[in-house]
Amino acid sequence: MSVPALPQALVPIPRDDSGGAALSQIEALLESILDAISNGVELTIPYRTARSARGEDRGCRVVRFPGRTAQEAERFEAIFRIIELSHEALVSGNLITKRNIYYQNIDIFKSQAVVDDIVDNLALTLGVGRGDLNIVAASKALISGDIEFMMRSGAVVHCGLSRDSGVLLPSINSLDKIDFRAAQWLLVIEKEATFRTLAASQFTHNCRAGQGVIITAKGFPDLATRRFLCSISSLRPELRLFALVDFDPYGIAILRTYQNGSKRLGHEDDVTVPHMRWLGIRSRDIISHIPTIFDDLPVASHVTKSQSSQELSSQESLAYSEVDPRFEIGRPAKRRRVENTRDPSDSILLLTQGDRKKALDLMNDICARDEIDLEARDLLQELQRMLMMDTKAEIQAVDDFGNITDWLDEKLGELCLQ
Amino acid sequence: MSKQYLTAHTVDQAHPAEIFSLSPTPTSLFSASGSSALHIHSTIDPSFPIQQVIPGVHKLGCHHVVTARDGVGNTAASVGFGGEVKIWTRKDTGWELHWEVTPAKSNGGDVWAVALSTDEGYLACTTSDGRIHVWDIAGREIIQTYETGGGGGAGSFAMAVDLSRDGKLTASGHANGAVYVFNNDAGRLAYSLSGLTKPVRTVSFSPGCRKLAAAGNAGIIAIYDMANGEHVGNLSTPSDRPAWITSLDWNDSGEYLLSGSLDGKVKVWDVIRGVCVATHSETDGALWCVRWLTKNERALAPGMSRGEMFCAAGASRSISFYREATGT
Repeated sequence: MSVPALPQALVPIPRDDSGGAALSQIEALLESILDAISNGVELTIPYRTARSARGEDRGCRVVRFPGRTAQEAERFEAIFRIIELSHEALVSGNLITKRNIYYQNIDIFKSQAVVDDIVDNLALTLGVGRGDLNIVAASKALISGDIEFMMRSGAVVHCGLSRDSGVLLPSINSLDKIDFRAAQWLLVIEKEATFRTLAASQFTHNCRAGQGVIITAKGFPDLATRRFLCSISSLRPELRLFALVDFDPYGIAILRTYQNGSKRLGHEDDVTVPHMRWLGIRSRDIISHIPTIFDDLPVASHVTKSQSSQELSSQESLAYSEVDPRFEIGRPAKRRRVENTRDPSDSILLLTQGDRKKALDLMNDICARDEIDLEARDLLQELQRMLMMDTKAEIQAVDDFGNITDWLDEKLGELCLQ
Repeated sequence: MSKQYLTAHTVDQAHPAEIFSLSPTPTSLFSASGSSALHIHSTIDPSFPIQQVIPGVHKLGCHHVVTARDGVGNTAASVGFGGEVKIWTRKDTGWELHWEVTPAKSNGGDVWAVALSTDEGYLACTTSDGRIHVWDIAGREIIQTYETGGGGGAGSFAMAVDLSRDGKLTASGHANGAVYVFNNDAGRLAYSLSGLTKPVRTVSFSPGCRKLAAAGNAGIIAIYDMANGEHVGNLSTPSDRPAWITSLDWNDSGEYLLSGSLDGKVKVWDVIRGVCVATHSETDGALWCVRWLTKNERALAPGMSRGEMFCAAGASRSISFYREATGT
């Protein structure tokens, strides 16, 4: 198989120098605190809060020490500790993870969520990205494919070696170079199980649409994954980006998070990939699969499967007496299903009230934008269809008894040619 | 034995998004789609020209628009994806917004399907939690609520609703396969109909109010007798792969049923004999709605019969009009 030559598979990652701005801001902040100590006045740290996911918004603009309450003093200590750690990391050029911050200072931070909130709010206050503070989240994402990472530490990580599990996605700031080799596409997969199956079967190497890379962020993506994707999409524009998500409101929300970012972390820059294409699964994939899943759609609990198929053939009280030929064709397929534990119809379900509400929220969000482009219109149509069909489907709905590679070959082939 | 229908006209790209609902008055046809505007087409002209476009009606798109079967054609109702219901009245200058039921006013649960009574006085609305509210349009109040989930709105999503032309019965079709018929005079459940075990997407009373047809994901049409609630038969074509049926409509005489399905097929069924007498599958993609047009006294154009016409629309964004072939 001939692989089209790609320009310069080895891509250097520019060193992130925006940390310099963050460093000078943090040093100015530390200086002002030192001044306050030497002058014997109240210590203050400016502190803005983004509305958090839990809807809290205390709106305080400044945190004081000793402060008016014991809580405020504790809060000051926590924020100060993070400023100190960030300063240390920026000066030494090392990265520090939010998890380490928490576990090394459990007495100061009562929970991981406290650390996460303070880091995000500190970044918001200073007007920088979280990564500029040299504080990163340990990525939960996995990557697999024939590409190589050259780390700034000198280590080399090949992503295709650990076949069945993939490798943990490193922070983009810790990379020196990426060797993309023959990779032409990158597919982000919502489900870790699907990712593992594809990694184990070496799909990235054998795909008929050319070689590629797969990534899973296990559901909603973390900032590290989004920043990684944003960086490589600008460093390597030839690489086609695709997403494979469930056909439900959450799958579409995940796709939109990659493309447009999230509301809570709206202050973070360089974390979106607007050019990411939606590979699937879509309403038409489900409609085309309806004949094969037909017999097994969820039935009312009081009717067993055998009754429902009998009813079709025996209740012909009107006009016909022929035997339904569908049941002749149906039999071998049913035997095959017994052998396989995964039945595609398990993956197609009715929407819940929560799903309908979430779909509506997404539609309102899409329509609230000034300009509804083709991409948005497409999403809107798929959400409308989802509501009309009253149907959601997991990625597994389109696989052929556990094998999704044929479907992916076809879809990637179609879209890579465009 | 079989009947022949020909494409009389196609309104190409009638909407910029896929068409979810059609509903005729004696002289026009409403169409509603995933875009925000309602369109009204004239059905007394063979080119079916646009009579009126009402822009910006439903911001998130519109999934149902209804008129009264056999009604005078002065009232219509449309439902948007946002759950809002708008009631329209015909004035000399065209259709105007008469009244709006916002989701907050509709008493819990998002409104989904709607049906208008023949006298254009009542509107039945289903909710996603399985209730059916009947509104008095003049009084702007709910005069009846039917619960299907044992009270408290715990019922299965009510995807379809119809009112019988004599005003006596209300029928609802649900996602769990249930079909309920309510007696409007007594204000309570008349029949709980079994037979379909998969989501019911459409229910329709025959013009004489003696039968009810119901269909959905099972791919067959179940016929029930309204005198006793008995399941008297199924309509299906054994040779075809079954597809989700999205829409049903009886013709004026009650002899024929029109069905549309997600595989793009529109079928005409002879109900007495229980057979499919015509199939068309020229549309591209899913069909969401099929409707007979109100019968006209005179032919639309020279060479056209006075026969019945029907129309179909869906994912193709076009509306196809069919007429019965004559002289063969």
